[in-house]
Amino acid sequence: MDGGTALARVTNSGERSFTKEIQKLTLGAGEEFHGEGILAVTKALLQSGVSYVGGYPGAPMSHLIDVLAEASDEILEPMGITYEQSASEAGAASLLSASIHYPMRGAVTWKSVVGTNVASDALSNLASTGVTGGSLIILGDDYGEGSSIMQERTYTFAMKSAIPLIDPRYDMARMVELTEHCFGISEASNMPVFLNMRIRACHLTGSFTAKDNKIAEFNANNPIPEQKYDVTKIVLPPASYQHEVAKFEERLPAAVNYAKEHSINELFAGNSTNEKVGIITQGGTYTVVLRALRRLGAADAFGNSDISIYCMNMVYPLVNHEVIQFMSGKDSVLIVEEGNPNFIETQIAEIAHTNQIKCRVHGKDMLPMAGEYVSNVVREGVAQYLAEEGTPEVSKRALDLNADIVAKTKEAQSYLPGPMPPRPPSFCTGCPERPVMTALKLLMKERGKFHISMDIGCNLFGSLPPFNVGNTVLGYGLSLASSGAIGPALDQPNVAVMGDGGFWHNGFTSGVVNTQWNKYDAVLVILDNGYAAATGQHKVPSTGATPRGIESLLSIESALKGIGVKWIKHVDSYSLENTIDVLREAMDARGEGLRVVLSNNECMLARQRREKPAKAAALKAGQRVIHEKFGVDEEVCTGDHSCMRLSGCPSLTLKQSADPLKETPVANVDETCVACGNCGEVAHAAQLCPSFYKAEAVQNAGAFRQFASSINRSLLAMMGAK
Amino acid sequence: MNELKQTSIIDRPICLLLGALGGQGGGVLIDWLVDAAKRAGYPAQATSTPGVAQRTGATTYYFELFPEKNPAGSPIFTFFPASGDLDLMIAMEPTEAGRAIERGFVTDCTTVISATERVYSTAEKVSAGDGRIDVAPIIEAIDKASKELIQLDMAELSAGTAARGNAIAFGAVIGSGILPLTADECRASIAAKGVAVESNLAGFDIGLKAAQDGTKPGKQGTDTLYNAAPDAFISAIAEFPAAPRGIIGHGIARLIDYQNDAYARTYLERLKPIAAADSDESKKLTGEVARHLARWMSFEDVIRVAQLKTRPNRLARIRDELKVDASTPLVVTDYFKPGRDEMLSVVPKAFSWLVPNLKNGMAVHMKTGSAFGYAMLKFMAALKPLRARSAQNSEEQAAIEQWLSAVIQAAASDNYLACQTANLAIMARGYGRVRKTGLEKLKALFSTWENRLASDHAGLAAEVDQLILLANSNPDAG
Repeated sequence: MDGGTALARVTNSGERSFTKEIQKLTLGAGEEFHGEGILAVTKALLQSGVSYVGGYPGAPMSHLIDVLAEASDEILEPMGITYEQSASEAGAASLLSASIHYPMRGAVTWKSVVGTNVASDALSNLASTGVTGGSLIILGDDYGEGSSIMQERTYTFAMKSAIPLIDPRYDMARMVELTEHCFGISEASNMPVFLNMRIRACHLTGSFTAKDNKIAEFNANNPIPEQKYDVTKIVLPPASYQHEVAKFEERLPAAVNYAKEHSINELFAGNSTNEKVGIITQGGTYTVVLRALRRLGAADAFGNSDISIYCMNMVYPLVNHEVIQFMSGKDSVLIVEEGNPNFIETQIAEIAHTNQIKCRVHGKDMLPMAGEYVSNVVREGVAQYLAEEGTPEVSKRALDLNADIVAKTKEAQSYLPGPMPPRPPSFCTGCPERPVMTALKLLMKERGKFHISMDIGCNLFGSLPPFNVGNTVLGYGLSLASSGAIGPALDQPNVAVMGDGGFWHNGFTSGVVNTQWNKYDAVLVILDNGYAAATGQHKVPSTGATPRGIESLLSIESALKGIGVKWIKHVDSYSLENTIDVLREAMDARGEGLRVVLSNNECMLARQRREKPAKAAALKAGQRVIHEKFGVDEEVCTGDHSCMRLSGCPSLTLKQSADPLKETPVANVDETCVACGNCGEVAHAAQLCPSFYKAEAVQNAGAFRQFASSINRSLLAMMGAK
Repeated sequence: MNELKQTSIIDRPICLLLGALGGQGGGVLIDWLVDAAKRAGYPAQATSTPGVAQRTGATTYYFELFPEKNPAGSPIFTFFPASGDLDLMIAMEPTEAGRAIERGFVTDCTTVISATERVYSTAEKVSAGDGRIDVAPIIEAIDKASKELIQLDMAELSAGTAARGNAIAFGAVIGSGILPLTADECRASIAAKGVAVESNLAGFDIGLKAAQDGTKPGKQGTDTLYNAAPDAFISAIAEFPAAPRGIIGHGIARLIDYQNDAYARTYLERLKPIAAADSDESKKLTGEVARHLARWMSFEDVIRVAQLKTRPNRLARIRDELKVDASTPLVVTDYFKPGRDEMLSVVPKAFSWLVPNLKNGMAVHMKTGSAFGYAMLKFMAALKPLRARSAQNSEEQAAIEQWLSAVIQAAASDNYLACQTANLAIMARGYGRVRKTGLEKLKALFSTWENRLASDHAGLAAEVDQLILLANSNPDAG
């Protein structure tokens, strides 16, 4: 069954096109690149002569792998670049193994910190062995506003594995330059290098002057003459002990030397009247610090600051010599360090202490311990610093200006009557995962609440209103594995929900194999919508093709059967009653091991991207097209909104009732409805009300249909219908 | 060309924040701005946090432009909007502008361009009562908090065109004169982007004009429109206090439509003792009971549903929704699932034992747009005379009587409690299980009503308040 739908998707793929982006990646020396941050980094990779690129998609760096996937003819093949969208971040990190022995540059990318967690096994081994060719790991850091993951720091990974960490200043030309330097640092230190890109930096727009792309000496078109064997590159004793020593005695010092020689970190000198104070910041927060200084009267719009700034584009390891130089002669410094724990601040305090520098180190005492360092937050911290440590003039100006901003903000806020309604993310209109959540909620009404382990991906929105049906989430592909100890402890079988992305990422091995081997009693619902949809419709092994368009289909069902899972049932999730019946059956089949319910309706966004233009074209060409949507008969709706508590569809919304007898607004299906039919199914399954109807208009109907319709209309008119 | 209030030294970039919901085209709007700035030769930077916005989540885009072509140095741009430093806030939905105030971004230096139409949040939708927040005080707050508020009634502005909100907002941004970009530069950007160029250019011009004209959207009519009762009832209505007469007339008209004149007379008879017991000058109790009673007495049984689904203009209205003309073949499918209770509405009480007890109701997908389906419904609607003797009717009427007597008993000592008791009628709402559960709760409450009114007045009042609160706000209700 999944083969059929999947292959149809492949033949219909190509609804998104990156032609413009690919053109930008092939710009030559002297031409101006104008575009997004993550694309600029991609261009820097090509200018650095990479032999291979890999990654696992996720916000905010998906663009990098998406664009390259489509650039086979223009970029990958002529340059001999090996490319893969790996099956997981661990797979992507493992690609870097190519640079251990061989002088080949390579780059991999994923969403951090979640992806770095998954990749850590490979990364630790790689960092121990060390590399010969420049190895770059581009981390799309999803921290702060809009983030969908736990809030942690990448810095910890850098420290524990001794991997240099670049946090570039977000000026596009500088960012590209620093990306190129990453390979230099890597080759000088024999260590892989992290390049940390914040979410807003990946999406920023800007320009830089391009260089020619560089074809690597060794690549798929020009292979390395022979394989290399060196037992000291294997992580086994005694080599592993030597690796540890080398990391701290040779490799990190080499990275520091490279940074010094190439001015990776930057000193922006202030004026002499303020030489007793200074600010140390990460490259990524530099512009935020400058904005704060400007707002507080200590800098202009072009970055000329009264206060000296030491901008660390390499945040690990620290260049002690430069830090000492910056602190010498100063009474105090402020460390603006986003994230926690405050590793940079503690290291700097230790440097001051060890070198007996009499310079007070401020940081988290003036800035918040946790959370994104947005403009307002940094301004408050810098204002406090200038007030306490600045010259009387600077201090007063900062205090006055800050107080003025705060007063105006408070006044504006005081006019608001109350809090605004929250808007958590939810399923798109017509999403095939919505009915599954409805089914689970209705099943709970029937048999009492049971435990549901959710997974990473769109399915997780089922934990939010109006469904509220997810109890826990532990990681990508881990829903089934995470319910191992819960099932035996509760009186109802527990249900694990997982997307197809999660299944292939980790769910099959850690979840299904584990459950099958341990003979657990569990229910697994797999939402096979054809894509890793939450990241922006990325292909997965069961989509039917690789991102490069090569036909390749792995079947979820075959994988399950291959390890002996016997209870497998398919549901069409839009048919709600059937879904409920099958789920009920799965719950009741205790003692039959793992029961898998597979729903494989395609992601509605993907479907609409394909069908909408096709329908419009057909309509224009005079072909028969059915235009359909659902609706609500306002007079029939009693306004208790039960339907919304079981649907949450964005197109199912409220409307002021024209009837003065009704005290509540009635339901209304707006024009964004895609006619998936869930609202009608819900009303049916839960026996809610007869308000919903489905309307289909047959456009460009044939002569017979037209004739039949005109007879129908005459008959209706006879019965009084207009 | 818009006039810029240019100082001799430009000391800061112009900052713009866009608050939208996933799917509203915020990203495209920002792309147009970035392109227009580049076209015009101004340094600029944009960024966004789409994250997991999906289709419903709130998302923001941020844009900075330095209003000097080829400045001497490189202006410093950053990623975050900041208090007291935001020139323009564009909200594709009014509470998103409210959110920007909440987060401290809008102050007296910020011009706010806001769409007026609400997109209700899940929290507002799932309430069993009216969970909508009142937007008027929010608009008022935006107006007070900001330098200027430009409101865009997108539906009104785009009427008759295919213009989308993001293009209208783009036009309004330029019309506000805050950015130094010309309309032609922006039109060129829309053309270069190559997406729905024609309708976006139209939208741009609409928004441009709306902001330049500074027209405020007309006040939405909020006056309640009552249907009038037939002349024969005028003298009977006149016996009631003036305040609730409108709603009473509406109730009479409703019940005549629902059943007949006699049924409407019953309504008035039921109301009389309430009016007599209503000691408060506002006559709020009489009005509330008049409203709830008319609604309850016109409870939606299968006959009523068939009547409503065969309203003469229903199919025409559905054609309008689909934007197709009368000659386009139309298929309308209705989802009926009458259970035992619903079937009882057409079966006399004495024969109710004949109706099978279907656990999940009888599922019917009826083509009500076809002459056959329509005729079936017409037939059902014509069974109106059977209603009076039906089992469901007798149950509902008994429940109504019980409720009315509870209201009168309460009114004797406590007008507020009587009003609240009147409001308990909202529990007799909905269909199927929802309605059944509500009615059962009411029955249980009223069975000990008289005793508790005497012995436990305060406790009873608290319970009534609690029930109303739950009926209106419990997200798990039904």
